[in-house]
Amino acid sequence: MKSSSQTADPPGGADPIDGAAPAEAGSLAGRSPGQLMWRRFRRDRTGMVSACVVIVFFLLALLAPLISRLYGKDPYTTYGLDRPGLLNEFFYPVKPNGGIDGEFWFGVEPQLGRDVFTQLLYGIRTSLLIATAVTVLCLITGVVVGVTAGYLGGRTDYLLSRFIDLLLAFPAQLSFVAFTPVVYALFVSPEKETPTALRVITLITVMWALGWMGLARLLRGQVLSLREREFIEAAKVTGASPWRIIRKELLPNLWTPILVQSTLMLPTFVTTEAGLSFLGVGIVEPTPDWGRMFATGARHYQNDITYMFFPGIAMVIFVVAFNLLGDSVRDAFDPKTKR
Amino acid sequence: MTSSRRHRTRLGAVALAAGALVLSACSSGGGGGSDDGPERTTDKNRASNYSLGTAADSTGPAAPVPGAKKGGTINVLQRDAFDHLDPAQIYYSDALTVQLLYNRSLTTYKVGANGRVTVVGDLATDTGKSSDGGRTWTYTLKDGLKFEDGSPITSADVRQSVERLYASFANDGPQYIPQWLSGDGQSFRKALPDGPYKGKHLPKSVLDTPDEKTIVFHFKAPHADTPYAVAMPNIGAVPAAPGKDTQQRYDSHPVSSGPYKIGTLKPGKSLTLVRNDQWDPKTDAVRHQYPDRYDISFGVQEPDSSRRLLADRGSDRQGMSFSNAVTLETGPSVLKDASTKSRTFNEIQPYVDYMAINMDRIKDKKVRQALAYAMPNGQILGQFGGARAGQVAGNLLAPSAAGWKDTDPFGKKKFPAGDTDTARKLLKEAGKEGQEIVYAYPNTTEYQNVSVVVTKALRKAGFTVQKKEIDSNNYATEISKVDNTFDIYRASWGADWPVASTVVPPLFDSRVLSDGSQNYWHLRNTAVDRDIDRINKITDVKQASAEWVTLADRILTEDVPAVPIFYNRLWSIWGSGIGGVKYHSVYGSADPSDAYVK
Repeated sequence: MKSSSQTADPPGGADPIDGAAPAEAGSLAGRSPGQLMWRRFRRDRTGMVSACVVIVFFLLALLAPLISRLYGKDPYTTYGLDRPGLLNEFFYPVKPNGGIDGEFWFGVEPQLGRDVFTQLLYGIRTSLLIATAVTVLCLITGVVVGVTAGYLGGRTDYLLSRFIDLLLAFPAQLSFVAFTPVVYALFVSPEKETPTALRVITLITVMWALGWMGLARLLRGQVLSLREREFIEAAKVTGASPWRIIRKELLPNLWTPILVQSTLMLPTFVTTEAGLSFLGVGIVEPTPDWGRMFATGARHYQNDITYMFFPGIAMVIFVVAFNLLGDSVRDAFDPKTKR
Repeated sequence: MTSSRRHRTRLGAVALAAGALVLSACSSGGGGGSDDGPERTTDKNRASNYSLGTAADSTGPAAPVPGAKKGGTINVLQRDAFDHLDPAQIYYSDALTVQLLYNRSLTTYKVGANGRVTVVGDLATDTGKSSDGGRTWTYTLKDGLKFEDGSPITSADVRQSVERLYASFANDGPQYIPQWLSGDGQSFRKALPDGPYKGKHLPKSVLDTPDEKTIVFHFKAPHADTPYAVAMPNIGAVPAAPGKDTQQRYDSHPVSSGPYKIGTLKPGKSLTLVRNDQWDPKTDAVRHQYPDRYDISFGVQEPDSSRRLLADRGSDRQGMSFSNAVTLETGPSVLKDASTKSRTFNEIQPYVDYMAINMDRIKDKKVRQALAYAMPNGQILGQFGGARAGQVAGNLLAPSAAGWKDTDPFGKKKFPAGDTDTARKLLKEAGKEGQEIVYAYPNTTEYQNVSVVVTKALRKAGFTVQKKEIDSNNYATEISKVDNTFDIYRASWGADWPVASTVVPPLFDSRVLSDGSQNYWHLRNTAVDRDIDRINKITDVKQASAEWVTLADRILTEDVPAVPIFYNRLWSIWGSGIGGVKYHSVYGSADPSDAYVK
């Protein structure tokens, strides 16, 4: 991973600004590194396109209820079962291409006959909600643990690092499969349905518990090297408190790896969540879920390949866009790594 | 009567059906409408098709299959490894089918191509002679019967096969005969605690072998369906000669009395059956010995086996499966290919799917009736592939039960999505609107889908539904606990032979109720128990059958312990390189007795 090898610059450091800078040197306007980064980013066409795609995905997820109201369908009604003529004797869509028509834009689901378009919208919503929550939690934990270990060093560093090693040694996927039913059994009365909220929280918790270590380790390394730099020494000599040093001196130098990592983490969590649903330990029916749509698609590919296209293509576009966005953000932050 | 389930439930079938995502074809759309549905063909599985054969029917050799020739290998694709090969332990339909090839019982079923099933003598010369008002049954063995090692089969070997059922290891198979001889439940084991292994035998007043060829059963009560009970694989021949019956270890290499013997067994992987040259076709009215061998491989999931057999390439051309079905994933392709018509069948099985209602928790009959009306049978069946996977059930008995009547008290056939209005009305009358229902289902793709339609239908009818998903490996155990905390759950049962005496007593007798029993609904009705005892005493099978059917219908309408959902169907496909595959309507599987390699 390129991001881990990059060196951090002191804030406001006198790095030579890339080729664009001399052209505008005439105005001699003072710009913060953030502004510079933004200017570089805006000139990166791939970055802008993928950023737009990502934003569209988030908007679709946020506005799913509104869109589905305008569209006039919801993801729960079994249209195909309630209305004769949509599903055939095997309960596959009667019309070609998965039953796509003016009414059902992406077709109808085999067997249950629900609307694929709203299923996908709500499925993306579920998956993005979970993935975003996990990413935020992992970021916070990773930063806190990584910076603490790196800055304090010594015994604290040793203990925290071994703890990270321990967690890294857990087979993540297996642990998810094993732990989720245990959590449900602990918190839910045997006579009550497991609330969807609890399922979501459980998923977020287990993915978070085993997802933050990479970032923490990376930041620890960064902090270790920064700690010995002159500007930190100087801050110490002037009597700055450790809290101030971390906030004002260290963190600004860590934004690049943090941002880059998080743009890589989020799509990973989306796919992990999809994988869990695929394996049957994620979100269950009737809550729409992106990953489960894959499982359904894989089951019916012989007879209704169209069904798999929509969640599949949407997922590919999303993951690629998000990864490209991550690349562009990194390039914008640190022009030296630009290819 | 027995605590063993015969039906290998469908729910195991679902484990990750999606392996390789090979996109082989473009979407040409589902198409639709054109249904030359399976219902149009006449059902082979009707009790009217069953009869008891004469001694002439029981005399071999079996009529040759037109066009059949000797030689070649048949490859059998099976989802699960057989639980047991020891005939004493076999109770599942896949193992019941394979034992037809290497194990002979006193009687057996002669299945005609037209679906007519005749019970004929197999080791015995006929289906048995009864005396003493149906309490005593006498069987005479045919001449020329031999084990695979060439030693003759005598009445002592038949006695061995019965007496070993008393030993403590023999607990997975049916237990009709020992129970009828020595006492109900597990009490029969006291009559011969160690089986025949310590030199003791049942007294002559119970099981008598007056000469080498004759065996006499003296039952405690009259049992008119003895010819069927001795067709179960565990009433056959196990060598009584010292050292041949290896008790538990017999499971890995039973001594063959049929046309094939065990070649090699790789546990969990494969089984090879090779010709048994000691088998004399003149003694056998049912079996043939056309192929040289059967190569049976395990672990082939249903979508895979049907895809392979449909593709019909390489060794799959000589392929078949005893119990793997064509699932909805491959169903449309099988139909599209006209050439497959001659190498498939789709027949109704003796297995019924129920939605059990826990009567310990849902005590109000009106609520149970409302549940029965509300259940969306047609939609549930749709999740398994519709009319080719089963047929909506109207009552508790499968159409194969003798004397079956097409009753449908809750209008299940008329309302595929459930009769919501009637259900809501009943719930209102009971004053239980919003009644909470804890609905347990195995956590598999198919049953998650089923849970969607069930929940929707029940909510519409005014129930509040709490869905509980259960790990599919533990599901059977969880729901058969008497103190389970669920209100409704899916259960399934199949008759051991086409008389409801193998359905009503194990399912609805309150005295069998215990953890692991098949009284899933916890029906405790002494009137029903009394009726079961009364009908069990009737010696005329025909009259008894009619009474069982009446009783089952009365239980359904008056106690409402369960909602019948659908009768299972088996859609079987085999390679174009073999012929003679037919449907075994008693075991609900593809019968290899007549099979040959073209």
